[in-house]
Amino acid sequence: MKGKCYIQAMAAISPQPTFEGDIFSAQLVHTDSNLLACIEPDYKPFIPGNSLRRMTRVLKMGLTAALKCSQESGITIPGPIITGTGKGSLQDTEKFIKEIAEYKETALNPTPFIQSTYNSVNGLIALQQKCTAYNNTFVHRGFSFENALLDSMMLLQEGATHTLTGAFEEITKEHFYIKSRIGFWKEAPTDNRELYRHLSPGSIAGEGATFFTLTGTPTPQSYAAISDFRMLYKPRGGKLAEALKSFTTSPDLIITGRNGDSNHEHYYQELDQCFPGIPQLPFKHLCGEYDTAGAFGLWLAAQIIKAQQIPATWFPGTEHLSAPVRTILFYNHFYGEQHVMLKLERV
Amino acid sequence: MAERVFITGIGMITAIGDNVAGNLHHLRLQQSGLGYSSYIDTIYKNVLPVAEVKHASEALFALAGIPVKEGYTRTTLLGLAAMREALQDAGITDVQSAPTGFINASTVGGMCDTEKLYFDIINPEKTGSFLQYIDTLDCADCTQRIADTVGFSEHIATISTACSSSANALMFGARMIKQGMLPRVVCGGTEALTRFTLNGFNSLKNVDKQFCRPFDQQRTGLNLGEGAAYLVLESESFARANNSRILAELSGYCNTNEAFHPTSPSPDGDGAYEAMKMALAMSGHSLEEVSYINVHGTATLNNDVSEGKALERLFGDKVPLFSSTKPFTGHTLAAAGAIEAIYSILAIQHGIIFPNLNFSERMEELNISPVTTLMEGYPVNHVISNSFGFGGNNASLVISKYEG
Repeated sequence: MKGKCYIQAMAAISPQPTFEGDIFSAQLVHTDSNLLACIEPDYKPFIPGNSLRRMTRVLKMGLTAALKCSQESGITIPGPIITGTGKGSLQDTEKFIKEIAEYKETALNPTPFIQSTYNSVNGLIALQQKCTAYNNTFVHRGFSFENALLDSMMLLQEGATHTLTGAFEEITKEHFYIKSRIGFWKEAPTDNRELYRHLSPGSIAGEGATFFTLTGTPTPQSYAAISDFRMLYKPRGGKLAEALKSFTTSPDLIITGRNGDSNHEHYYQELDQCFPGIPQLPFKHLCGEYDTAGAFGLWLAAQIIKAQQIPATWFPGTEHLSAPVRTILFYNHFYGEQHVMLKLERV
Repeated sequence: MAERVFITGIGMITAIGDNVAGNLHHLRLQQSGLGYSSYIDTIYKNVLPVAEVKHASEALFALAGIPVKEGYTRTTLLGLAAMREALQDAGITDVQSAPTGFINASTVGGMCDTEKLYFDIINPEKTGSFLQYIDTLDCADCTQRIADTVGFSEHIATISTACSSSANALMFGARMIKQGMLPRVVCGGTEALTRFTLNGFNSLKNVDKQFCRPFDQQRTGLNLGEGAAYLVLESESFARANNSRILAELSGYCNTNEAFHPTSPSPDGDGAYEAMKMALAMSGHSLEEVSYINVHGTATLNNDVSEGKALERLFGDKVPLFSSTKPFTGHTLAAAGAIEAIYSILAIQHGIIFPNLNFSERMEELNISPVTTLMEGYPVNHVISNSFGFGGNNASLVISKYEG
């Protein structure tokens, strides 16, 4: 996708303390449970109490991250809302499946059904912001957030002044177990601080809600420019290396979705070979692996390029940048199927 | 100047036919696909009518053109059957012959199969080949299996905006073409009936125990349906260079959110009004030029009031001929937008207006009523096709006769 867009504001709810405070002095939250759960903020400043009681976890996280992002943007006129989610509200889906069985299909409460609908978060954001503009939800694993981003960039090209673009995902205990049955997670308890040192099948699970306000023109507040962006589906043979090389030549920094999964590590090794000597920062030890982890990775990249600083406690060993970062190459893939490369430029 | 977007191939499967010709045949016969389910495991099997595709999943493998194997859900198989026809209709033998995107739509992915296995999947004591269905829980599974079977690799996406999903898929594909990103995109959606969805709508008290009666005073709800439909979209320059046979033009579209209520439309139809108005404005055609509206017309109490009011507000006392084809196909959710887009093309191609079955009494809130008899030999040049959904997601498409 050619044509630049600018990140005007961002908000992230993640397993790290990203929602409030200074991330450059934040501690690194760690666990060896192979499941990095979000630090949930106080939702009350964002969502009225009576709505809050009905809403399940990912709806609250998604809506709150979206509203915080809008507040931070300083833009008061709501615009298009575009999101991505691989799984939507798992908690509601699981609940409705079970209640159908438990109550033998009678006298069911419709709330979990309504909330399990993938576009329910988008609907809530629009409702709360009284926003009647364009509204879309993409549900395609590691291309969910990325298609939302593509849609947003197209809207900006078509004349929208700004978009609210984001992603949300939750992991439940039940879904963690389900995915463990097909090898998504490491078998041995793995501390997220040690993730990249334990190359073995599978990764560690994560979740998060990340939103961006994107604009077509830069402002003094802009974090970064997204100047190019490409998705690649199941690249075979040398296709990935070819695409990476034609995508960019010498970025100042590379942010990668490396996740300690030996089954798909070879893609990251291809990246290493394409860009030898360029410093890399992996982000999955912070957020875990999930369909829309790419949105968190982009959030981190934008933080770093704006501040020209690395959150030191999150990256022991590479606390400092050795040179100014003008461009970042972001590369991520989801279990070897959906590959994404993004170019970020300093504004 | 952005390129025009042409429709050069169509394929579908619904309760009234395994392909486009079968659908047209039963539309002409005014024969509904509604009945009682043979395949869903539900206590409502003989209580709530549905429009089910009349094949067991095993038989669908043949229509999908693949050998029987584990991991292929009914959602995927319906999608593949429609996809095969759409590609063939567009004369595409190899989707790799030109950069071709695939934009799919789904509301519950492979729930039709996973809901039968879910309690085994979460039970550590159970193991077996059913584990191959684990990844079919999400909406991307059907898209990727269809893509991998027919060979799409350029750009794939799945959209889920409830009942407007495949209308949004068509819009997204058309916009990619207009931005010059791809010369050809196949767009649509697939939906299989599930116990999950049937109970969902039933818990909302939105399902009619009789055959649904859109725009009728006595209507009490919708009937669910299943099916899949895909449309091949091509840029004007590609279609001309490729010498493609052009069926119609996707001349306008609009997506709006109503921001009114999580599951109900506003009583005055603000979202529907805005979507139709803006889509028509984009097409460059006037209100008078609209020959027919294939309405969303689910037959729920709220939808039909809201949509009817929107029609009256937009067109005043000159509301064009309109009908809901949901009494034929049921409400096929993610597939509905694409199925009805194809019906709109058939209306243009054959000069037919489809009747709104099961209508007998005008709604007290409205001064308009739908077409109730089949009209043949009626010139149809521009059709509006509406899809409105949960979460306030509204979409309208304008499909126009191709006139060079």
